[in-house]
Amino acid sequence: MDNRDSQEIRIGFYICHCGSNIAAMVDCPAVAKAIGKLAGVVLTRDYKYMCSDPGQELIRKDIAEFKLNRVVVASCSPLLHEKTFRGAVEAGGLNPFYFHMVNIREHDAWVHTDKAEATEKACALSRAAIRRVAKHKALEVKRVSVHPDVLVVGGGIAGIHAAMTIANAGRKVYLVEREPSIGGHMAKFDKTFPTLDCAACILTPKMSEAGSHPNITLMTYSEVAKMDGYVGNYTVTIKRKPRYIKEDVCTGCQECIANCVYKEPKFRDEFNEGLGKRKPVYIPFPQATPQVVAIDSRTCLNFKGGVLTDMCKKSCVAACGEKQAIDFTQQEILQEVKVGAIIIATGFQPFDAARIPQYGYGRYPNVYTALEIERLVNASGPTSGHVIMRDGTEPKSIGIIHCVGSRDQKTNRWCSKVCCMYSLKLAHLLKEHTGAEIYNFYIDMRTPGKGYEEFYDKLLEEGVHFIRGRVGEVTDWAASPEEEGKLVVRVEDTLAGYVRRIPFDMVVLATGLEPKSDAQDVRRLFNMSCGSEGFFLERHPKLAPVSTFSDGIYIAGCCQGPRDIPDTVAQAGAAAAEVLVLVDKGYIEQEPNTAFILDEECCGCKSCIPLCPYTAITFDATRKKAVINEALCKGCGTCVAACPSGSIVQNLFEDDEIFSEIEGVLAHD
Amino acid sequence: MKLKKRIIQYEAERVVGFADEIRNVPGCEELRSCIQCGTCSGVCPLSTYMDYSPRQIIGMVQSGFKDKALRSHTIWLCASCYSCAVECPRKIRITDIMYELKQRAIQERIYPRRFPIPILAQEFNKMAQTHGRVTENVLAAIMFLKSTWWTAFGMWRLGLGLMRRGRFPLHLESIKRKDELNRMLKTLDKVTIDMLHDERGKGEPARGGGR
Repeated sequence: MDNRDSQEIRIGFYICHCGSNIAAMVDCPAVAKAIGKLAGVVLTRDYKYMCSDPGQELIRKDIAEFKLNRVVVASCSPLLHEKTFRGAVEAGGLNPFYFHMVNIREHDAWVHTDKAEATEKACALSRAAIRRVAKHKALEVKRVSVHPDVLVVGGGIAGIHAAMTIANAGRKVYLVEREPSIGGHMAKFDKTFPTLDCAACILTPKMSEAGSHPNITLMTYSEVAKMDGYVGNYTVTIKRKPRYIKEDVCTGCQECIANCVYKEPKFRDEFNEGLGKRKPVYIPFPQATPQVVAIDSRTCLNFKGGVLTDMCKKSCVAACGEKQAIDFTQQEILQEVKVGAIIIATGFQPFDAARIPQYGYGRYPNVYTALEIERLVNASGPTSGHVIMRDGTEPKSIGIIHCVGSRDQKTNRWCSKVCCMYSLKLAHLLKEHTGAEIYNFYIDMRTPGKGYEEFYDKLLEEGVHFIRGRVGEVTDWAASPEEEGKLVVRVEDTLAGYVRRIPFDMVVLATGLEPKSDAQDVRRLFNMSCGSEGFFLERHPKLAPVSTFSDGIYIAGCCQGPRDIPDTVAQAGAAAAEVLVLVDKGYIEQEPNTAFILDEECCGCKSCIPLCPYTAITFDATRKKAVINEALCKGCGTCVAACPSGSIVQNLFEDDEIFSEIEGVLAHD
Repeated sequence: MKLKKRIIQYEAERVVGFADEIRNVPGCEELRSCIQCGTCSGVCPLSTYMDYSPRQIIGMVQSGFKDKALRSHTIWLCASCYSCAVECPRKIRITDIMYELKQRAIQERIYPRRFPIPILAQEFNKMAQTHGRVTENVLAAIMFLKSTWWTAFGMWRLGLGLMRRGRFPLHLESIKRKDELNRMLKTLDKVTIDMLHDERGKGEPARGGGR
């Protein structure tokens, strides 16, 4: 199909006004006129919207009418419309790679203020494209098959929903969760706003369904250690931490817990935010999925500092009896899985309230974080749902401080989006449980969402007090007799315009959401990007909200930014749909800008092999030549630049193409 | 009963551009980013005595109610403990803004009458400039005489105690080469805010200047 030599070059040049986006700064007809004088150009046109149907139709007709065999369009970024114009060129009967696009909008019109200079630049860029396109060769798009299995990282509500959606569509899913049970933060919540559904009641059916789904392979107490490969064909290494229990044998009877040598729970219970205690052998919460206990080697007597010592009399093993599900010799294992696409749903971590010392968290026992209150009001929590403070009393007055670690340039600048609503929910629940006087201290009430504003109205009706003002400090220093022994909140009621001191029994800090502390490691693991806040970056904030800059890797839930449960579930569904599009199609089309080796010139020096970021180059020992796997090559050009003998060539970026482009930019008419 | 105080503010009372004027002073650049959360008033140890809370003063400056802001007691009650500047979630240096307002109030002589603090500030400055030293009891005496002189009688016991301990010198303390001090102060006076701006402009772009 290479008709470069056999035919004369007939180039059609089109310049787009893009409404006034380009035309306001670039004199389009003048550019078209200047380019029309160049060798090989048989046709130039300027048109208002090249990307419109009539614009594309123009290209198709001209190819037939003027026997064009090369097309150049000067318009916006190739990211947006290269595909459109390649399609138009193909529809006109040409190979789509006989087309080249010039970006005179983002690279020119939008960044310049002088029309004459911008026009000159547009001419230079177009001239370069004209010279380059003459050297273009016909190329073919290659297809790479996609592995049908999917990996979901993170077993919170986002991960569970995405995994369930994909599994229900008939695809195999690996669901990897770091903790001993799936469920994530939602499992810790008591109720959900604004409907006050019990969080466990709506989550646990999904959890157990995910746990028993034939298409879902649950990997709890596991972490992703390594990811290799490329879109459609990823090889992921999963580190399975030893829980010292045979998962397939354990029935969840919990006899071992009852018979542990520790008669009383003694160790910090992570699930209850440290408000309760657990034993070294434990199950995080009653509805944990899988219903399998775990042994914590840091606290178990049979281990000392994590090393197996066989010091304990092992009453748990005796209690387990016939089943013999306890195995103290378990080791960490690395398991490899092959998947076509990956969904990252690693979630968030709550802001550490101790970072704002003036609110006294960690200093005054009766200052709580919101997540602690969720456990405190929960029937399966450490106090069986009774709101009893650390000093053993029930609070008569409670202050809820909003925006702790949100909207604050000293900690986190962003609004965490959910705190206003969950503070309202907690105010309602605390009032219901204790009948206490409740004050909310807010900067702005942010309740956009279906039924959210109505919920706010309901709380106002219930007699919960709302004071607009960010709290200055929480102190136990009493200025008057009624403040003795209480926590005093000093705040300006900004609407009334005076400063108030209000004594409380209990203070609740509505902590914001922030990226997980190891988000940067996860980002590197999966070749993603992070925004300035540290949340994973989506490909486009509006039009590609679940895609990342790595093909085949999608994000869902709070790892992308703070959001509530409805949004998380919606996003998880969107990510699952994107994955199904990829997996169900079965193949991906690959841009043919890959590199290849000129065998007769390769001297087998191997300098390219370690440089390739996609491990696409291997060495053929028998022929002593390097070999590039086209499916793995992303067209980055590193090997091309590094090859000492110049024997690596890259499609669409061949030397004569690049040199003619440079000549074009530098040439003067 | 006759209503004395009106709450409404008319557009004619606004000084358009006052906020920008303040914002151009080094240290006051972040003025615009205030979200009126009230943290400054919440942490201010003196906010309980102020006629307007620090948050309200920032609001007045932002809207250009210059006269109201400069006439307030608040700016004079600010003890520059910097709690507000430390706690402000927008990193606004409220104390620096208070200082700027105090300076302007003195320049325009619209501070509250018979209020000791602005008088103290001016007399302190005057004494330090002419003598190079401040004699505290004389300064206090001048402050009382120019403001609420009758309250000084209530402090006779303190004065007596100080005198007994030799802490009540009746002569003005002074440094030796006052002409050199004068030369230094004169040079300083020539340095204007604009010069400081130019100096900053050479190094790094002024904060907030590009908005």
